Amino acid sequence: MMSVAEKAKGKKPMKVAIKPWLFLAPHLIIFFIFFLIPSIFGVIVSFTDWDLVGTPEFVGLSNYQEILFNQDSIFYEQLRIGLKNTVLFVIFTVPFCIIVPLLLAAALNAKPKFWKVFQSLFYLPSLFAISAVAILWTMMFNVSFGPINHLLGTDIPWVGIQPYAWITLVVVTVWWVIGGNMIIYQAALNGISKDFYEAADIDGATSIQKFFRITLPAIKGQILYTVVMTTISQFNVYGQPLMVTKGGPNDSTRVLLMYIQQNAFGSGQSIAGMSSALAVILGLCIMVVSAVQFVLLRNKD
Amino acid sequence: MKVSKLASLVIIAGVCLGMLAGCGGGGSSSSSSAKNKKEIVFWNPFTGADSENIKKMINEYNDTNPEYKVKNVAMKEIDMYKKIPTVVSSGKNIPDLNIVHAERIQQYKDSDMLITYDDVLGDYSDIKGENYVEAAWDMGELDGERYGLPLDIHSWGTYYNKELVKKYCPTALDDNIVTFDEIKEAGKKAKADKIAAIGVTWVKPNFLSLLKQNGGQLSENGVDPTLDTPASKDSIGIWRDLYESGITNKDGEDATQIFVSGKSIFLPEGIWAQNTVNEAEFDWGFTNSPQVSDDLSKAVNWSSSHQFVMFKNDERTDEKIQGIMEFIDWLRTNSLEWAKAGQNPASLDIIENEEYQKMPQSLYINDPKERETLTIFEYKYNGYVSEYLETNGFDTVFGKKSIKDFTSGMEKEVKEKIAKDKTNK
Amino acid sequence: MKKKPVTKIVAFLFLFIMAIIWILPLLYGFFTSFKSHGEIMTSGFKIMPAEWVLSNYSNLLVNNTSAPLLRWFLNSMFIAVVHTLLVLFVVSFSAFAYSRLNFKGKNLLFSFLLVTMMFPSVVNLIPLYKIVDIFGWVNTPMAMIVPGAAGVFNIFLVRQFMDNIPKDFDEAAQIDGAGEFTIFTKIILPLIKPVLLVVALFSFTGSWNDFLWPSIVFNDVERMPITAGLQLLQGMYDVKPGLLMAGALIAIIPTFILYLFAQKYFLQSMSLSAGVKG
Repeated sequence: MMSVAEKAKGKKPMKVAIKPWLFLAPHLIIFFIFFLIPSIFGVIVSFTDWDLVGTPEFVGLSNYQEILFNQDSIFYEQLRIGLKNTVLFVIFTVPFCIIVPLLLAAALNAKPKFWKVFQSLFYLPSLFAISAVAILWTMMFNVSFGPINHLLGTDIPWVGIQPYAWITLVVVTVWWVIGGNMIIYQAALNGISKDFYEAADIDGATSIQKFFRITLPAIKGQILYTVVMTTISQFNVYGQPLMVTKGGPNDSTRVLLMYIQQNAFGSGQSIAGMSSALAVILGLCIMVVSAVQFVLLRNKD
Repeated sequence: MKVSKLASLVIIAGVCLGMLAGCGGGGSSSSSSAKNKKEIVFWNPFTGADSENIKKMINEYNDTNPEYKVKNVAMKEIDMYKKIPTVVSSGKNIPDLNIVHAERIQQYKDSDMLITYDDVLGDYSDIKGENYVEAAWDMGELDGERYGLPLDIHSWGTYYNKELVKKYCPTALDDNIVTFDEIKEAGKKAKADKIAAIGVTWVKPNFLSLLKQNGGQLSENGVDPTLDTPASKDSIGIWRDLYESGITNKDGEDATQIFVSGKSIFLPEGIWAQNTVNEAEFDWGFTNSPQVSDDLSKAVNWSSSHQFVMFKNDERTDEKIQGIMEFIDWLRTNSLEWAKAGQNPASLDIIENEEYQKMPQSLYINDPKERETLTIFEYKYNGYVSEYLETNGFDTVFGKKSIKDFTSGMEKEVKEKIAKDKTNK
Repeated sequence: MKKKPVTKIVAFLFLFIMAIIWILPLLYGFFTSFKSHGEIMTSGFKIMPAEWVLSNYSNLLVNNTSAPLLRWFLNSMFIAVVHTLLVLFVVSFSAFAYSRLNFKGKNLLFSFLLVTMMFPSVVNLIPLYKIVDIFGWVNTPMAMIVPGAAGVFNIFLVRQFMDNIPKDFDEAAQIDGAGEFTIFTKIILPLIKPVLLVVALFSFTGSWNDFLWPSIVFNDVERMPITAGLQLLQGMYDVKPGLLMAGALIAIIPTFILYLFAQKYFLQSMSLSAGVKG
């Protein structure tokens, strides 16, 4: 895409072709060496039986066959249970992780009193490591000693039975992660020109109409980004179900990444081939979901 | 325009150089087999309070001015077991000396990752079976070769609240064995006062010790599991029964917390937990882990052991191995500090020590009959059993999973994971 | 342009209610850090400590050879700062290429990068360690600084913001004879400062909070970053909530300070009425 000016200056097409790659080079080099190669390795391992220390034994597609088609196999069960719980987790948490920070950002954007204090408060949890968050909320939800049961006057063994275990995970997750999205939305909202709102006011639009007709479309790009990113990140959930509900009750919150980790780095000999195969399948699922989101949100008006 | 471009490039170059050069403290002076330093790099999972004890011992040893000093590299247990295959397969930065749990030695040996001590043991006549607790010493020998030397043997037992015992089951501790019948009796009486008889704690030691008491075993031939057995069902059944009788802590409660706050009579826990138990404000005692029978000769106390192993490492010289042996030999007679951490040193030398005699865990080492109850469950695939117990044990005890599914599921899962292991073929 | 007062009041009430929910766990954690382990184990439900103890903090701030807190802190700072600079450099250049430049296979490449990032990396740990070792970076800060910059998500984020900048600016500059690099530095960069600040905040925080990778890649206690180091103070079997909370609160101080600093600049208007420079 050369402007008339550039053509007039006689710049050769060659120059334009190299420049982008110069800009891209730093990232691509790092990406290739430190991410792509290990990832390819990971995929290759999925076609082997390997315990991480001996020599890998190439087994072709048999790991995948077992996971996908052998109903008797525990690895089939792992995929079935793990993927189901992961998907449930995504469905339960992602909407909250988009809507809550969006509402918070919109409220903050009105710049009421103390808005900076509020913003800091909502952002603070995201600075904590998952281990601290897990311990904290485990104590909060403790059946006998926890403040939540005390305040509500109940006796619920939160992490011990459903649907309370899911509620626990959703509460912990939303509390912990929305800070990031909130900041992104705020930055985006702040960039919307006031002219649009003024024009709408003149037309007599209500706040709600302004929100849906001006605000949301204006930050469409950031919403797309956060929806896709949040989904990917929740598909990768590991810490919360591991440390808060411990996969229970009865495996009902055991997500796929827990099985993947356990197979590769559990107490017994490593089953790295299966672990990698499950990881590849999880990756493919994430890919499909993201692609769908892209298509749907890109065309949304 | 050109100037700013130049400036930016200069800045970028500067950052790059800074990155490559700076790097806080130059190069990967790998803290593993540093050839030039006479140093034994010692990896262990002793973090937190325990790390203080281990460090004291190491410092004491280093103060004796040995030719090879020991460098303590502590890390969290899960990280250590992740790091071992990562580092060993990279062939570099392999530690000189490692602590691993005894049950893992078999899998490391079968994967050809370890070297033996056999060549050097001859020079250290005191490092022999008679000087160590049998169960711990035996775990280090596989197929007639010695791969591990024991540091300690740490066992499961029962803590009890002396006041509550006096109140609800005053004669239970007369023979220093608490049986499940005695626990149930006490529970019936204590229920009215909302005191639990016993806490539901770590399933693995509780289950395995019962499994053996009930005549079961993890495997008959050392490879294939024998887990879907009546003994297995009975073992988990005893705990389910306790829960259903309403004499345990509630689902979701921390059993230790309940005990330490004086709301339960018995707490099955390891000797290593005594420092936590000591936070209690009442008088407490320690005895054998809960038993089915009150006959000491039939008692089983689940145990594990921290063992010294050496991973294959071309850079470890023979002199360094001698240095390692000196250290282990020194520890044989200098393990009091480790006992203070709540452990039981594997070296029988500790019995001589007066201070040790006052520690609750000395119960297991003083009396040879007690030593015989210490059982380390060696089974190549105990890791898989352990994983299954972690994920399904509590659910079964608390009634969310049927006992039938528990045992059949355990057998199936362990079998199928084993099928993926190539070292048997 | 004043917002209607009603809007502000509604916003305030909403935020206030949410704030109460949000702050409760934080307060609980804060109070827990001042409780002795004995109290946590024995006292039933209590929010405030019966007896305020400083031992959790004093145990951590001890700064001895086995817990060189100061050293850890400096390590973390060095690693996080250099990592963030690297990320800003790499991300802004790349996002510019995807947003502003046209070249064959642009969208294909970008999609490819995004897609590969979607695969969870578990076993990748092993080859990554080997590669880092080949560079001689094991046990050095470089092992933490460079590999993390491979991320694509920040590029995605910055690109989204860049796409919002109208191409008119670029074209005007081109007519004036500006090349891509000048457009990049003089026009685009100033306009995306807010999002770059967000990226800096996220990168710094991510690097600061990483404790899995550092515990694999560092062997010496003195070289570790603070979050990995604090892990070593937790015992093998038991968790001491008071100690853990105190550690967590100490560890978030720098990232929180960075956030407060950034807070001022986040919301710099990307207003389109800002004059075109150059």
